[in-house]
Amino acid sequence: MLNFLINRLWQSIILMFIVTVITFFLINLAPGGPASLMRMDATAEERAALTERMGLDKPVMVRYGVWLSDAIQGDFGDSLTSGQPVVKRVTERLPNTIELTLYTLIFSIGVGVVLGVISAVKRNSASDYSINLFSAIGLSVPSFWLAIMLIYLFSVILQWLPSSGVGDGTEKWKYLLMPVLILSTTALPTIIRFTRSSMLEVVSQNYIRTARAKGAKEWVVIYWHALRNALIPVISVIGVLIPRLLGGAVITESVFGWPGMGRLIVEAAQGRDYNLVMGVTVIVTLIVIVTNFLVDIVYSKIDPRVKNF
Amino acid sequence: MHCKIFKMLGIFTVVSMLLFASGCSSDKASSDKTKTESGPKDGGTVTTPIVGDPIFNPWHPNAYAESNLVNRVIFSGLTKPGKDSAPAPNLATKWEASDDGLVWTFHLREGVKWHDGEPFTADDVAYTFNEIVLNKALGSNGASNFKALDHLEVKDKLTVEFHLKNPWAALPAYLSFNAEILPKHKFEGKDPWELTSFNKEQPVGTGPFKVDKYIAGQSLELIPNEDYYEGRPHLDKLVYKILADKNTHVAQALSNDLDIFVLEDKASLDRVKQAKNLTILPSETTKYYWISLNQENPLFQDVKVRQAFLLAIDRKAIIDTVLKGYGTIADAAIAPNLKTYYTNDVTHYDYDPKKAKKLLEEAGWKDTDGDGILDKDGKPFKVNFEVGIQGDLVQSAQMVQQYLKEVGVDIKLNTLEWNAMIQKNVINRDYEMILNWWTYPTDPDVFAQYHSSNAGKGNNIPGYKDPKLDELLVKGQQTSDPAERAKVYKEMQQYMSDTLPYLYLWYPQEIQIRNKRLKGVPKMYFGGTLYYVSEWYVEK
Repeated sequence: MLNFLINRLWQSIILMFIVTVITFFLINLAPGGPASLMRMDATAEERAALTERMGLDKPVMVRYGVWLSDAIQGDFGDSLTSGQPVVKRVTERLPNTIELTLYTLIFSIGVGVVLGVISAVKRNSASDYSINLFSAIGLSVPSFWLAIMLIYLFSVILQWLPSSGVGDGTEKWKYLLMPVLILSTTALPTIIRFTRSSMLEVVSQNYIRTARAKGAKEWVVIYWHALRNALIPVISVIGVLIPRLLGGAVITESVFGWPGMGRLIVEAAQGRDYNLVMGVTVIVTLIVIVTNFLVDIVYSKIDPRVKNF
Repeated sequence: MHCKIFKMLGIFTVVSMLLFASGCSSDKASSDKTKTESGPKDGGTVTTPIVGDPIFNPWHPNAYAESNLVNRVIFSGLTKPGKDSAPAPNLATKWEASDDGLVWTFHLREGVKWHDGEPFTADDVAYTFNEIVLNKALGSNGASNFKALDHLEVKDKLTVEFHLKNPWAALPAYLSFNAEILPKHKFEGKDPWELTSFNKEQPVGTGPFKVDKYIAGQSLELIPNEDYYEGRPHLDKLVYKILADKNTHVAQALSNDLDIFVLEDKASLDRVKQAKNLTILPSETTKYYWISLNQENPLFQDVKVRQAFLLAIDRKAIIDTVLKGYGTIADAAIAPNLKTYYTNDVTHYDYDPKKAKKLLEEAGWKDTDGDGILDKDGKPFKVNFEVGIQGDLVQSAQMVQQYLKEVGVDIKLNTLEWNAMIQKNVINRDYEMILNWWTYPTDPDVFAQYHSSNAGKGNNIPGYKDPKLDELLVKGQQTSDPAERAKVYKEMQQYMSDTLPYLYLWYPQEIQIRNKRLKGVPKMYFGGTLYYVSEWYVEK
């Protein structure tokens, strides 16, 4: 157990280092610079003054060294666009994205697993085909278009739901509904399909036949015996979905005016806000590392065949 | 199990049917228009969108378009754009220049208070300019506009003098252009760009509204300044919604969630025209689109070539197609809404490809090998045309490319990401031909974009150097009497239309979308109406 943990920690540190190096060099070598330098009407004089103020006149290697030594001590510097500390800008947006991710996962897993099971158990029936059809549609429809369509339907025509923002208090669910729906159009079909294929594999196993032969009720066979085993690969899919949802539901956030991490990252990259880009990268990498770690632990607990420690 | 499936299927089907139906159903979102008594009423909330988070500091290097729309409501400048476009009093009630034009005295309004109760005085004006704008190391946004300014002197609590390096008639106009005053008592002794408690949280201004609630990435709510010197605003709340996606602006306007903004994507125009709760107001702006042919490049130094290019482009067709007709052809740099200075008595370049070909022939370009491309001394006329991806620039550029191809110029169009375009074309001046626009305050002083001293490192993008134009620019800048100035600028426009330092394309019209319940908004471009936001009111 201890060895496992130490190995993991070591790997995580190396991974973090590699990611930060690559990101730092990529963003700094991209053409252009921080937005304040890129104004059409800025004169060469103004640009020179700002470049010096932001310390961008030093070579890239030196700047990385400075950033790294500060970051290790917890100082991620100030956002080049707003002047606020990077940590503040990230922590402002992170809870909103976590909220969206959480509800999307709950919805997608809850509905997805059930539909996946139905689809597997009733393989090649009408229900199976329609579930698969809707999954395919969900994965293919561009979320941008669907989001605007939903806004037109529910906000403009029916006036049932607000078209943007986070809202507060008891009204919060109204603001969450459409963004969660949009994010689920890719998450839900993914879970359905994984559950379905996993169930199909499990249901043909010997122990399922044994359970039926023992006279167990069908729903016990499916939900108690089969599903518990079929869920194992689904857990690793969830492990992949979490960082994807946390790191950037950019389109959904842009269309619904949701102040989340996705928009933050894109704005930071477009505005060449180097400090913010690095801060966000570190957070997202950390999240990926932690979720993968947790998934592996859960895996080990559920599946005795897998020995991590 | 079956029931669950069919229920789900049922819901899915109904939703998709509704989605299809929504494409052709009519609006339910119409407010009924009953006759109410006229006259401003107090109360109500008005919402307008901005595409990014604002910085509450008009001089901050990162304060762009979205910040400008907020800052002119929170802060005040010495002057503001008048409803007739001449600079109108704001924090300054009157001003005059000395006989030699080098010292301008501004008399300030009495009894103005900052949002935190402190009195506004000449010290604030002097501090803003001497310590922030003129401090080169800070790189303030717009500081380059004040090149002619040397320093400020406080005469007494309500009088301040602007000392210039050379006469500059446009000073009052530039003071109305994103040049608001900052409070000395907040910034003294601090780094103005690091003061995030002010710049990002709670600014202190003298404007009609002040910050109440700001949720980063989402919205900014402003409430009235009870002590505003022109009277308490009618509205109870002014909300700026941060919406990065411009398509949602239209959707939200239709659902009464947004009240006023500028429509950029003209594809939605028809949808908006059908809406019962919205009106469309085209307005003139001080903006013109141009093509710049790099004057360092011998290909473009012959004026005949420049004139031929302009003759070859059917600008009216582009205006009708890309701008949906919302624009007028430009032949010089002064926009028509600068009524005192604009003249239409200039050389015009009506679409005439035959004449273009003739001019090119006179310049030595003929299609000797019959391949459809003109050549000279064995070299074909090939041009690299670069444009940044923003708004309708690419669409316009594509049409320009087609027209020039028809007269035998082989144009290779390269679209660049905005940052990359700025880095390459503007910072490094590495380009042959680009298309972009200029916008400037309501004053004809275009020295910054045309004078030879601004070639290379300044805003004279083509790098055009012409002593006669320089002379006219300096004369116009330094003449104080508006009638005399008008003469100079009219001569300058004629000269510009002959020599074409930039190829003038069009003056776009801005399309303002407004909810019918919003009243009291002056007939101006949207940015200008914000200076009069205290007069806005809503009708229930």
